[in-house]
Amino acid sequence: MSWWKSIFPKRASDAQMNSELRFHIHELTDEYTAAGMSPQEARRRAALEFGGQEKCKEEVRDVYRIRFLDATLANLKSAFRFIRKSPTFCITVILTLALAIGANSAVFSAIDAILLKPLPFPDADQLVLVEQHNSKSAAVLTRVAPTRLDDWNRLNSTFQALTGFYSEDVSESTGALPEKVTRAWVSSRFFQVWGLVPSSGREFTPEEETLNGPNAVLISDRFWRRRFNADPGILGKNLRLDGRLYPIVGVMPPSFLFPDREADLWSPIPSGLTIGRARENNWFVVIGRLKPGATVAQARADLGTIQVQLGRQFPETDNLSVTVDALKENTVGGSRRSLWLLFGSVSLLLLIACTNIIALLLSRSAQRQREIAVRFSLGASRGALIAQLLTETFLLALLGSGLGLFLAAAASGIFRSLAAQLPRVEEIHLDARIVLYSLACSLVVTFLCGLVPAIRGTRSRLSGSLAQTSRSQVSGRNPLQWLLVGIQVALAVTLLAGAGLLLRSFQELGRVTRGFDSSHILAFQLSMNWGETGDMKKLRQFTDRVLETLRATPGVDSAAISVGVPGVPFQYQTELKLLEGRAESEPKLVTDNRFVSASYFATLRIPLLAGQICRETDGPPTVVVNRTFADSYFHGESVIGHHLQSVSLGYAGPAEIVGIAGDARETGLDRAPVPTAYWCAPIAQPGTYFLVRTRNAPMTMAETIRRQLRDIEPQRSAYDFAPLEQHFSDGLAENRLRTFLLSFFAATALSLACVGLYGTLSYNVNVRRREVGLRLALGALRGQIIKQFLWQGLAVCLLGCVVGFVLAAASTRVLAGLLYGVSPTDLPTLCAVIFLVLAVSAVASLLPSIRASRVEPMQVLRDE
Amino acid sequence: MPTEKSDLLQGTLDMLILKIVALGPVHGYGISLRIRQISKEVLQVQQGSLYPALHRLEKRGWLEAEWGESDKGRQAKFYKLSAKGRKQLESEESNWNRLAGAVAHIMQTAE
Repeated sequence: MSWWKSIFPKRASDAQMNSELRFHIHELTDEYTAAGMSPQEARRRAALEFGGQEKCKEEVRDVYRIRFLDATLANLKSAFRFIRKSPTFCITVILTLALAIGANSAVFSAIDAILLKPLPFPDADQLVLVEQHNSKSAAVLTRVAPTRLDDWNRLNSTFQALTGFYSEDVSESTGALPEKVTRAWVSSRFFQVWGLVPSSGREFTPEEETLNGPNAVLISDRFWRRRFNADPGILGKNLRLDGRLYPIVGVMPPSFLFPDREADLWSPIPSGLTIGRARENNWFVVIGRLKPGATVAQARADLGTIQVQLGRQFPETDNLSVTVDALKENTVGGSRRSLWLLFGSVSLLLLIACTNIIALLLSRSAQRQREIAVRFSLGASRGALIAQLLTETFLLALLGSGLGLFLAAAASGIFRSLAAQLPRVEEIHLDARIVLYSLACSLVVTFLCGLVPAIRGTRSRLSGSLAQTSRSQVSGRNPLQWLLVGIQVALAVTLLAGAGLLLRSFQELGRVTRGFDSSHILAFQLSMNWGETGDMKKLRQFTDRVLETLRATPGVDSAAISVGVPGVPFQYQTELKLLEGRAESEPKLVTDNRFVSASYFATLRIPLLAGQICRETDGPPTVVVNRTFADSYFHGESVIGHHLQSVSLGYAGPAEIVGIAGDARETGLDRAPVPTAYWCAPIAQPGTYFLVRTRNAPMTMAETIRRQLRDIEPQRSAYDFAPLEQHFSDGLAENRLRTFLLSFFAATALSLACVGLYGTLSYNVNVRRREVGLRLALGALRGQIIKQFLWQGLAVCLLGCVVGFVLAAASTRVLAGLLYGVSPTDLPTLCAVIFLVLAVSAVASLLPSIRASRVEPMQVLRDE
Repeated sequence: MPTEKSDLLQGTLDMLILKIVALGPVHGYGISLRIRQISKEVLQVQQGSLYPALHRLEKRGWLEAEWGESDKGRQAKFYKLSAKGRKQLESEESNWNRLAGAVAHIMQTAE
């Protein structure tokens, strides 16, 4: 690699240079002494004749000094000149790069904010989420009993502290209308675990954390801005929550979004609280902060050992296993695959853009043969020329990535609104890291795109180049350029295949048989708190009253309640047992439990297949099971008349199975129905959805319903009004995001590949004009010319498609978990993609081919 | 000292150095001495131009250098022609001959 050495040559050491010059002066002195001078006089003459030693040394040093700055400046100057001289070419390159680097930086900014950066808390890697599992039943009990949390805090050796909280919606009624706010109740050690202090105001005092102490509430930055317009004098003002006054003691920092970004308020759970203290009452979400140096695995082992001890001590309630997971992993883990998939595709796009630019630069440097030959003959070294060509590419890449950053900034807004469902999406910003990243991108692009053309372009030295014009050149074969076109096509096919599969799967999701009718359903919630669940009778009356009012509203056909929205991922699986007994060999009765009103089936139009609908009486409870339940646990035998009881939940059962309903995709549109038991509990609780079947468009009824409810429940706020369909599309938001973006990248990739094909073929046609003219003059038909060029373009595309097909088949397995209803190697999709690519590339090849056939033989031959 | 000195034509110094070095390994002082002697004291090379030129040629790979002992026993840097340098010398020589011939031709015929 001699060009490398010539860019960074060895420096002659100063000491060697000194002794070389000293030798010269000695010799001169000897010469003068021999001529008869006195030694002193001879030395003087020698020094005089030699002249300025320092100046000489400096000039010798100059030979070696790379004069990097000077050279770079000169190169930059010439690069700017180059851009001015060929604006169309450069704008093409810059725009291509801006698009590719911009998209890449935008996706990287999301990855950086969501996956790479630590959570916005001090030493956030010490934070873990602790959950408990009941290994005996299939129930996934993730919450923890407060008493158990106290035990953990007392016994562990790996945590600085563990804290628990739970959240519920309350009605805040100091304003004109009651407003629903989300309040998190937090246990002691809360601030110690998060490592945060309120951005204004103070933490809770010990008095506020004890039973019957003063009330206190901390509010979120969001709530402070929304409700109080960021009033600096907010501290000490009161909120009325469920009728009780709570003074605001502080405002939390904006980055604090726990339990989720909806959280508005935090209140302390008094430490002496006696209700809800039983060991089987699991209602805390537990967050722990590890001791410095302690690992998640150590904490897992530590809590595991403690829990085994507790299990011996309290065999009834504490035979549990404990899981400890990094909080960040738990928060962002679900989006990892989607994000890396997007990053992979956007990097492929960048690769295609680079290939395109290599092709452009290659044809450019072919045109610049003469310029390069002249520079060679003027004594430029090959290294210097390569440096100059690379500087040009770098300048283009730099301008491209600068423009790309603007695009990324604009795109990050779009991304944030598209990806509103992703965790941490509010942390996506364009910061110095992203600028550095796109700078690194442009460096990589420079070498990726610039090196090959620069080395090839400077390969033929001045031998012949100066004298030769391309006049009589006949052949225009450039295997490298066609290879590049082929690579672009192959990569575009790969991306398109991925996008095609995601689109197909999205389409399949829309076509799925849901088992219920979601059109014309309006869903909303009413603010409630868990304290109300103490008086079931009152709740029952309240629920009946609301449902009655809704049914009586003109324009409403029916109304029902359901804990959880049908069709949106939400599962409450437990193990049930059959009172009538069941063979040990039979599989456990693991069911999804839905708590609904009897009107649920009519409202959502879920057909009843056998028996009757459950009764909302005060007598023994009844349940309806779905068909999957009957089929998988009773194998066609009669189900009706059996009695179910929950293994772990006292209040659910025993209940008689009175009916079988059709299968509905309750737990998500993309999930097959699971065995389900519908418990008729016409009792609303926090988180319950009211579902109303309307005659007209659902949202048109929202205001009427809100007004009706204000009359009967003035203390509650009705909120979260949305058509049921809206919930589905929210549930599919991540799916849609990746489908949309991947399709966009794939379309961009295809157009880039087409531009590459078109450009290469056009260049080829230009170079071979004389040949074509000659052949036309000798009697070739224009159709033959078109066919020849068209075939040349299509043949390369065909090869690209074959390679792309293989690549796609190999890489679509990446998509396997993200698809619904299509296999990753779905042949129709892949064939459609290849057909599309061939059709588009046929158009891209046709234009230059037709241009070739229109060559005027006489004109061309006269030019000769 | 010579009575009349001529400045070297721009760009010819490199060629002269190559030519001298082509005779055998020689140090900087030797080169300046030979140019002086062979040109019968007409050409005088300034050391301020000689050494930068030597290093430039070495950097281009036309000269190779190594340290050795002079005939008086002093440490000196000896230059010799590389294969690349020989080629360069040939092309410069033929260029020069053409140029000199052309100039001479003009001077004679334009009288």
